[in-house]
Amino acid sequence: MGPQRLDFAEFYRNSADECLRTVLISVSDQDTARELVDEAFARAWASWRTINRHPAPKAWVVRTALNLNVSRWRRRRREVPVSDPGTVADLPAVGETFGSTVDPQIMVALMRLPARQRQVVALRLILDLDTGRTAEVLGIAPGTVMAHLGRAMAALRIDLQPEPQQETRS
Amino acid sequence: MNDDELATMLRDSVTGVHANTPVNQIASRGRAVRARRRIPGVAAAMAGVAGAALAVVALVPSSHPANRVPTAQLAAWTVAKHTDGDIYVTINELRDPAGLQATLRADGLPVNVSFGPPLSTSCQADDASKDVLKAVAEFKTSDGRAYLVIHPSALPSSVGVSIFDEPGAGKPPVRPPTQDPGSLPPAGITGPLAIGLVHESQACTGS
Repeated sequence: MGPQRLDFAEFYRNSADECLRTVLISVSDQDTARELVDEAFARAWASWRTINRHPAPKAWVVRTALNLNVSRWRRRRREVPVSDPGTVADLPAVGETFGSTVDPQIMVALMRLPARQRQVVALRLILDLDTGRTAEVLGIAPGTVMAHLGRAMAALRIDLQPEPQQETRS
Repeated sequence: MNDDELATMLRDSVTGVHANTPVNQIASRGRAVRARRRIPGVAAAMAGVAGAALAVVALVPSSHPANRVPTAQLAAWTVAKHTDGDIYVTINELRDPAGLQATLRADGLPVNVSFGPPLSTSCQADDASKDVLKAVAEFKTSDGRAYLVIHPSALPSSVGVSIFDEPGAGKPPVRPPTQDPGSLPPAGITGPLAIGLVHESQACTGS
């Protein structure tokens, strides 16, 4: 008996949220993430005979969405670099960008990471891919994945560490 | 905070994000994606069609008078069925899709023609390979003339042809160099032409 074939609707129902969350963390904009993920799923539907045999169809969808984002960026040739943490922290529209359902403090911390580190965090922790599959999706070496994840976690830990209570003395 | 706690915090931060696009909307877009598998070269070569417009009129066979326009004017499209069954289509303007569709159907081709609006929802794209598509339809140019050749004999059983444009994707119309300087350039060419294969049905291909 061959490998079990997934029904597209079932696959979409079971994986759309995870794929959207993964892409959201990677691209940092909820509307963009939704567009990319919808288009990636549409392409999966169009090639479903092939995709349903893929060992990790969710990874295929996310990789397609990320590739679409690159194509989109190349077409538009515009990007808003987020290199200054102070600038990010002051952005009034952070809540709007991610939607009110996302913790803005965590999202700001994620946005401070370089794009590649954010992608690694998203694929490893949100989509729950192993190091090898993450490396495959991003086209980088497994060792590089581990290095990016280690740096990202260290940076996030510093950013998200609860601030110690200051003692007040009278 | 250890790695596990941090990972849990990150996961929890996005649990409120849900994909809310209905699956039938995804499938609808997927059908359009699949139907837009083009014959290589068609889109690029179509840019030359307007320039070949007057030469194209000379291709008009007596059986299909090309919208019955004088040869001095542009025909929107022309259809010629050859004795071997192949159908030659030239399109100068993306207008009168219903007329083109009726003419092609009269020649025995199960076809859906759509210029401007999105693909008909009554059409379901066929998941045939690009090799099949290339065997069914090809784009040719010769002696400055550009035309689409459809080989109905290569169509798989219960499969028809979809001819459609992609609005906004093409260059603006250009005046054919051989056209009368006093006449307007052809209007209505809104984008490159694409060919797809669809499931044959009464609603989509008329058979």
